[in-house]
Amino acid sequence: MISVMEVYQLLPKTNCKRCGLPTCMAFAVALISREKTIEDCTPLLEEAKYEKKLAGLRELLAPILSADATETGMVIHPEKCYGCGNCVVACPVNVASDPKGTAIGRGPVSGKAILMVEDGVVKCVNVDECRRFGPEKVLCNACIATCPSKAIEFI
Amino acid sequence: MAFCTGCSLLCDDIVVDLDGGKIGKTMNLCRKGHAHYSSISSGRLTPSVDGSEVGVEDAMMAAAEVLAGADNPLLFGWGGSTLEAQRAGVDLAKKLGGAIDDPSSYSQGLITEKIIAGDLPTCTLDDVRNFADVSIYWGDDPSSSHPRHMSRFSYFPRGEKRQRGYEEDREAIVIDVRKSPTAQIAADGFFKITPGGDGAFIEALVASLAGKIPKVEDKKRMLNLGTKLRKAKFGAIFTGQGLAHSLRGDLSGFVSLVGKLSEITRFSVIPTLGDYNTRGFNQTLFDETGHVNSVTFKDGVRHGQEFSIARLLDSCDAVMVVGSDPAAALPAAIAKKLAKAVTVAIGSHRNMTTDFAKVSVPMAVAGIEAGGSCLRTDGVRVEFDGLVGSDHLSDVDIIKRIMEAV
Amino acid sequence: MAGGKELTVITFRGIFQEVEEARGMYSDGYRDQSAVVALDGGDMKEMGVEAGHPVHLETASGDVVVAAKLSEEAHPGVAFMPASPWSAQLLSGEVGEDGFLELKMFTVRASSGGGRVTSIEEIEAVIRAP
Repeated sequence: MISVMEVYQLLPKTNCKRCGLPTCMAFAVALISREKTIEDCTPLLEEAKYEKKLAGLRELLAPILSADATETGMVIHPEKCYGCGNCVVACPVNVASDPKGTAIGRGPVSGKAILMVEDGVVKCVNVDECRRFGPEKVLCNACIATCPSKAIEFI
Repeated sequence: MAFCTGCSLLCDDIVVDLDGGKIGKTMNLCRKGHAHYSSISSGRLTPSVDGSEVGVEDAMMAAAEVLAGADNPLLFGWGGSTLEAQRAGVDLAKKLGGAIDDPSSYSQGLITEKIIAGDLPTCTLDDVRNFADVSIYWGDDPSSSHPRHMSRFSYFPRGEKRQRGYEEDREAIVIDVRKSPTAQIAADGFFKITPGGDGAFIEALVASLAGKIPKVEDKKRMLNLGTKLRKAKFGAIFTGQGLAHSLRGDLSGFVSLVGKLSEITRFSVIPTLGDYNTRGFNQTLFDETGHVNSVTFKDGVRHGQEFSIARLLDSCDAVMVVGSDPAAALPAAIAKKLAKAVTVAIGSHRNMTTDFAKVSVPMAVAGIEAGGSCLRTDGVRVEFDGLVGSDHLSDVDIIKRIMEAV
Repeated sequence: MAGGKELTVITFRGIFQEVEEARGMYSDGYRDQSAVVALDGGDMKEMGVEAGHPVHLETASGDVVVAAKLSEEAHPGVAFMPASPWSAQLLSGEVGEDGFLELKMFTVRASSGGGRVTSIEEIEAVIRAP
């Protein structure tokens, strides 16, 4: 988990409002929730004295910005994954949408599963169906709690 | 749907894209299964005699010659063979008057024998999925060894009487000496024991079931476990190497515990076996002789530890190893005996045993390159076809060819 | 066996070891997953071993050098090792009075250092030696 304070420490802390938000703290929150991008902080990009902070911020946020991070903030660490399918079978969205496949422990059959195992490693598709997605999101953690190797996290 | 022989769960819902006869993208294979599938294109065994590459026919003839010339041959391995090859292997051992054994003689053979003989109650993994509300993993870490065990059968799936999901409907208990990946999932259901402490745990649990104060540090937790198991509607105990080795061949306490549980409610034992068809070999030999391993056909049928690989390497004069690598698994002192013995190795890949062998015969990978049948770790029979073409002979064809030539 | 710390070793199997074994047991990957010993943090301090450093393990039956790994759990006096040709070099191979062949638990002398990690070729050479 990336904390707001960690991100804030790497911002200019001038509350210049050029990003459209009232404070750098608010901008830090927006960066983590991916409502803003680093590029929205123009001073950080343009002023040489922030060079180190910018590099640090890019490194810190790399997991969020990587292609692995789905829009729900789910990050899969393929190098840790066993491909066991515990998350696939425990996922409430899969259970509801794929009763003859993942719900009973098998591979997906309905075409509506959002977690599945491909080439021995779990992957997330149809991400807009995840319960953590959208305005009515819930903090479901079925895929994390069932993982034997901490291969999934939400950021 | 394709089929996976990567472990003894024999997953049958595998989807494989065949890209011009080659394995492409796969769905539903676990990490271990995916590695198993990928392995067909690397590290394959080549036919050889005395270190020189030969044609496969010559290698089989050399193998037959070794066996025909032996007074006390040992045929070992078989967990990585189809039922058809195992059957042929037992016939070959009979024809030769030799001994036959498998790695169960130094792992879970005794537990499997009690299950096959009906001395321990059992059920299928499908029963577990449909009915089990308590799963006990004892000295067993299927998350690592049989990655889809918990998701396909024993903890996470919905089943006939288990419709509400694992949090409400199921309980996972792990008894182990370390916090294994399976123990990680069981969280509060993990009971950590000291190395070799399984016997003491059994005693404490038996006491707890009888309503007596168990002689353990955390008495309350043990009593709670007893209550939990008493209340179970359908319990399953999955045994692993850890339990088998800790009990050192004396299963009396374990059998009595399962007996006590069975008086109270329904409890079944299913071993978590390593190779894809260990259960098949144990059953095949049991059907023939009444024993699951360590049998000789010299002067009638005899069984005993003296006919296990660990003991027999002192006296046998030829060894045929099929689909196994005892040289890597057994203690160095025993591996040394194997390296000195005249050995025929039949296998799909190069390993330490094939490195030491006089004769090597390559075989197809069953389930990917050849069809056949086998028994899942719970004894359910499964039949499968090959998926891709291969230049390699199947295991049963090799054994039969050798038998003809002996 | 002189010097070093006495430890009870328990063997186990991990999934990545099995994955590397399927890829081929003569690979660096298989060695990296197999030739390791997971140690208790306190024991490591006492022995002066750091994670990733070589550890010499010795019994009356044989010796190997493997890489140290720090366990997340505390388990003083106990070490965990993948069941592999490396751990097999340390097993006695004697069948007990109860007829059982011990493969899972044994006592070793462990000490820091010992040079580089033993290779599988070296193990094969030891097994072949007269």
